[in-house]
Amino acid sequence: MRTISYGQAINEALAEEMDRDGDVILYGLDVAAWGGIFNITKGLLERFGPERVFDSPISESVMVGAGVGAAIMGLRPVVELQYADFILVAGDEIFLKAGMWRYMHGGAFKVPLVVRLPSGATGAGPEHSTCPEAYVMHSPGLLCAVPSTAADAKALLKEAIRLDNPVMFFEHRRLYQKRDEVPEGDVTLPFGKGVIRREGRHVTVVAWQYMLSRALKAAELLEQEGIEVEIFDPRTLSPFDSGTLIESVKKTGACLVVEEGYRRLGVGAEIGAILMEQAFGYLDRPFRRLAIPDVPMASVKPLVDRVLPSVEAICDVCRELAA
Amino acid sequence: MIQNDRLRDIFAKALLARSFEARLIKLTAEGFLPPLLHPGAGQEVAQIAALSALKRDDPVLYSHRGVAYMIARGTSLSAMIADMAGRAGGTNNGKGGIMHVVDLPNGIYGESGTLGGGLVVSVGMGMALRRRDPGRVVVHFFGDGASNRGTFHEALNWAAVQKLPCIYICENNGWAVSVPTSVSTAVENIADRAAGYGIPGVVVDGADPDAVMAAVANAARRARAGEGPSLIEIKATRLLGHYAADPQDYRADAASVAQRDPLAALRRRVIELGLLDEAEIEAMTAAHEAEIDLAVEAVKAAPPLDADQAFTDLYA
Ligand SMILES: Cc1ncc(C[n+]2csc(CCOP(=O)(O)OP(=O)(O)O)c2C)c(N)n1
Repeated sequence: MRTISYGQAINEALAEEMDRDGDVILYGLDVAAWGGIFNITKGLLERFGPERVFDSPISESVMVGAGVGAAIMGLRPVVELQYADFILVAGDEIFLKAGMWRYMHGGAFKVPLVVRLPSGATGAGPEHSTCPEAYVMHSPGLLCAVPSTAADAKALLKEAIRLDNPVMFFEHRRLYQKRDEVPEGDVTLPFGKGVIRREGRHVTVVAWQYMLSRALKAAELLEQEGIEVEIFDPRTLSPFDSGTLIESVKKTGACLVVEEGYRRLGVGAEIGAILMEQAFGYLDRPFRRLAIPDVPMASVKPLVDRVLPSVEAICDVCRELAA
Repeated sequence: MIQNDRLRDIFAKALLARSFEARLIKLTAEGFLPPLLHPGAGQEVAQIAALSALKRDDPVLYSHRGVAYMIARGTSLSAMIADMAGRAGGTNNGKGGIMHVVDLPNGIYGESGTLGGGLVVSVGMGMALRRRDPGRVVVHFFGDGASNRGTFHEALNWAAVQKLPCIYICENNGWAVSVPTSVSTAVENIADRAAGYGIPGVVVDGADPDAVMAAVANAARRARAGEGPSLIEIKATRLLGHYAADPQDYRADAASVAQRDPLAALRRRVIELGLLDEAEIEAMTAAHEAEIDLAVEAVKAAPPLDADQAFTDLYA
């Protein structure tokens, strides 16, 4: 099968969906002539024209708010926020408008909006480096996708654009260049269905995006020590596939969540609570988390590396859990 | 000048809005409705005149100030009471109360409860109308207080750049709850800010339905012709409190403001013009009261909403 990068896969998904449906429009900062600061929307202006692919002012509130307005009137806007951190700049529009416009108006509207959110620690400092998906997972009305491979990025984005609900689509910037096998043609993936990336008997590790690559590395190292790690990639956090996770925990009896968001009330905290409530009897060991300790993300590499969960840290916790 | 039958219609609707709102306030005092209404008394004539300049399928994002927007479009009275009362038969299944009345066939597209939230939503509505349904315009009403949100700047700027079919109507009643506009706002006229976006900004007197209608008609003509958005500031009069039971002890003119009631002025005018006489207005009022009685009875007879409605309408 052909391999393409995660970034190209997103570009293909956008192009195919714009081709398929004339109501799909795309805008954001620098997305038109320049093709996006991460080069993801390259060629789309040339192909679909300035009516459907356009730059917006540096006005994140209206970027997302207009997305809600366009969506309730029948368009399918795809909005690129330059950095995922900026969901907090457009907080009212994301959490109280996109998430709630349908609900508070008694179901009269559909909100088929996708907000693309480049995330992840790349040394760009406290306001341009975070993985803020916990805020989204916390908030009713929003769907949350966290694709980890090029194939998943393409299939989940195509699905997101077709869904009639608002989707916060996190794209991890350290993955943009990563190449994977991606099938040609019209492949979508359902939201709420995770995947076991690696099978094992001793410990279940939940990880996605950049932390998934670290978890996979840790699993390879641990294999040499006879520790078999099972790795669960949830693919979407809202909805969250607790069923597949619980089946895995039934087998392993231990669970570690590795995430690139803040630890306190993070995604891992929620997953831990799900396991306490629904799978307590299957856990032989205390539930564990590795996350960003509760400090902002710094700018320079040594400080960033200090707070990102490392392969070694993942190995250490897995050893404890498998002991 | 507004034609006589149109003026008579604006008056009749404003009269209905006033009576209906008075009944909602009474039902609130009696404990049948929760105290969530922001009375629009004093602002109805301008609200209704503005909407008279548009078509029924021009979508409206309204402000929280009263119910006349819905009356102008013909939304069911009983549905609005049911929304407040939490009874079956409302428009939003108990999710949005009186703040989020929705009536799509009549172009009522709801409201952002966070002030200024509608400004940015309306931009996207304009984008969609231009692409899918050229010729329609979106109108958004908001208060002078809301115009101090940053969303005002973001929305008007981007709507102007894109020349979107949007009409922005700021109802400046001089107050944001207890804060006078002079304390919160650096310019005398909100409409002066239009210059910052290169769009027309006009000030009209909220007691002058001709001026309001003409301004909105002109904005609509521009918008439909692809010339972009306009900002219209209505100098409005808030006759009552921010909410019905507001003691208004912050307000020196609370007692005298009734003398500036635009509906009373319009009443005098329709009589002077010979469009209606006192007896006809009395009969009209009685007919409105009867219509409101029926609506209230219907809601009182309707079952309370099933509490499990809390779980519906979230995802499509
Ligand atoms: C973002 C936000 N801030 C504050 C409020 C609370 N609030 C509701 S109405 C209101 C006053 C609004 O004043 P204005 O916009 O002038 O409209 P008016 O009530 O005078 O019609 C306030 C402060 C809110 N709903 N949303």
